Amino acid sequence: MNWALFNTEIFYFCAAVVFLVLAMLRQTGHRTSYHTALFLAALGVVVCIGTLHLDGLLFLESYRIDLFSQVCKALLAMGLLLVVCLCSELEGVAAEWHNEFYMLLFTCTLAMMLLVSSVHMITIYVSLELSSYTLYVMVALRRDKVTGTKAALKYFLVGVVASAVMLFGLALLYAACGATYLTDLVRLLPPLLNRPLVMTALLLTLCGFFFKLAVFPFHFWAPDVYAGAPNQLAAYIATASKVAAIAILMRVTAVAGDATGFLVDSLVVVAIVSMTVGNLVALVQKDLKRLLAYSSIAHAGYVLIGILSLTPAGYSGALFYALALVVMKFTCFLVVIKVADDGRNIDLDQLAGLHRRAPLLAMALMLAVFGLAGIPPTVGFTAKLLVFNAAMQNGYLTLILIAMFNVVISLYYYLLIVKAAYLTEPAAEPAPMPVSGPVKGLVFALVGTMLVTGIAPHYLIELARRATRVLF
Amino acid sequence: MLLYTILFYLLSALILAATGLAVTRRNLVHAVVYLVISFFGSAMLFYLLGAPFLAALEVIIYAGAVMILFLFIIMMLRVADFEEQMFPPGQSIPAAILALGYLGIGAVLIFSDPGSRAPLLPAAAEPRVFGSYLFVKHWLAIEVVSLLLLVALVGALYIGRANKARTVATVNKENV
Repeated sequence: MNWALFNTEIFYFCAAVVFLVLAMLRQTGHRTSYHTALFLAALGVVVCIGTLHLDGLLFLESYRIDLFSQVCKALLAMGLLLVVCLCSELEGVAAEWHNEFYMLLFTCTLAMMLLVSSVHMITIYVSLELSSYTLYVMVALRRDKVTGTKAALKYFLVGVVASAVMLFGLALLYAACGATYLTDLVRLLPPLLNRPLVMTALLLTLCGFFFKLAVFPFHFWAPDVYAGAPNQLAAYIATASKVAAIAILMRVTAVAGDATGFLVDSLVVVAIVSMTVGNLVALVQKDLKRLLAYSSIAHAGYVLIGILSLTPAGYSGALFYALALVVMKFTCFLVVIKVADDGRNIDLDQLAGLHRRAPLLAMALMLAVFGLAGIPPTVGFTAKLLVFNAAMQNGYLTLILIAMFNVVISLYYYLLIVKAAYLTEPAAEPAPMPVSGPVKGLVFALVGTMLVTGIAPHYLIELARRATRVLF
Repeated sequence: MLLYTILFYLLSALILAATGLAVTRRNLVHAVVYLVISFFGSAMLFYLLGAPFLAALEVIIYAGAVMILFLFIIMMLRVADFEEQMFPPGQSIPAAILALGYLGIGAVLIFSDPGSRAPLLPAAAEPRVFGSYLFVKHWLAIEVVSLLLLVALVGALYIGRANKARTVATVNKENV
């Protein structure tokens, strides 16, 4: 077996072990853990980019390394690095549990990397479980125990139901096709797709991924978990975890070939309900993190539009959308974390006067929110354009119209955020908020990425196209 | 073949009844005992399907170790004094209707599929074959599961320590 192919995973496993050892020593200060985590996460990005070109099969063909998986791993590694950058204070978690938090964070990233490379049903299922369980424990790590435990319990219950449904679907799929490798399913499934048993099996299997992506009907956990989790973890769930969910959803739906009919219809329904529910409920939210949670439910709906096209254009659009979501959602959470300096949850009103307290953060927030709303020239616009365009080529005009209508609805609450940051006058004269040098650099990098990939996305679109081509 | 069929349906009925009773019991100790019966039933089902090793594991691990652990936890935590009904009728009736509807659809789905009438060949998996299948073919999955157990251990440790000041029972009550 060619172990060099497995480098990335081995690296993240070792990183998790480092934190496990640190946690057992219990003598390190939280600054040491933070610097170690930052170093390891940065090194991880380098490893991921270094292994971008690898290609091959491992573990009796149940694990596939290809451009698609490597691009997703690089995205996950970047998501992890960004989240670790925000952990310099990590006020939401008690200091003695920081090492455990980092250990779980690295393990979760490892699990998602395993997930995006798996092409065997059992490997997919266990990696999905590993990534979910690490998240449940991390949510419970919140310093305010009642909030954390409540959110973790809700997350756990929805997750367990989703995973039971998914297992049932997998069992039915195995009963119908007798195959567990995705490569076999690609061959066996398309002629069987119109059998009711296979349709049900496939749909139930997808439920596990719908839970990860927070798509209707498995979206109930999102607002409570975003609000109950430590802020940094909420940022992680909103970015890296979504990338993994989108990637595995693409890999599994790709086995259906160029199917139309029941599978696509049900995905259309799920997409429409998700974006409508997400956007409408987001309108009345006061808590900023809950608002972002509902907005991610809506965005999951938009991503599904790309996936349900089941065409290379749709898939590359969805992958690009994943990248855009990482950058935009992360920028929003960066502002949340900097404003809520003691790790509390913040309301929209508490953004008041942000443009005077920290003009740079306010500008970044505005750009990110415009990106989420899909206003040019940000990356969000390009992503939506790609996804909608792919659906248009397949002739889903009604779906696009409903999605556009949703975009208009979402503008209202996105503009509310901008209004709170720029126009609302704070009750008292606001104290200026110091922004440290590294954070400034990070914000500039994020703003630059949002604008540059919005104006000149060709290279990334081409990369996404090449990456998703291996799925077919 | 007929004898096997009769045994299969008898065992399935036993498992369903025992699990149903386990879910609906108010007394947690009774629920665990019914669950043990259900696990014994599934063990016999595994034996019937030609997996004696799996049957033995089911009895040793699930019916033995895990259930004893459950009993320990129940007796240590003393959370048996739940007064309120678990689900009010307003919630349980729609749930029951949905479940029955799903049962109907599921039955139609499975019986209408040609795959459901395929005759199963009698087969038996020796422990050695079973072990090498599991640890050679699904090696990666086994490693991932072991990592999962490590994470579960960390989580259990955290929750156990975090509630040193407050008993678990009060946390449970707040969550319910």
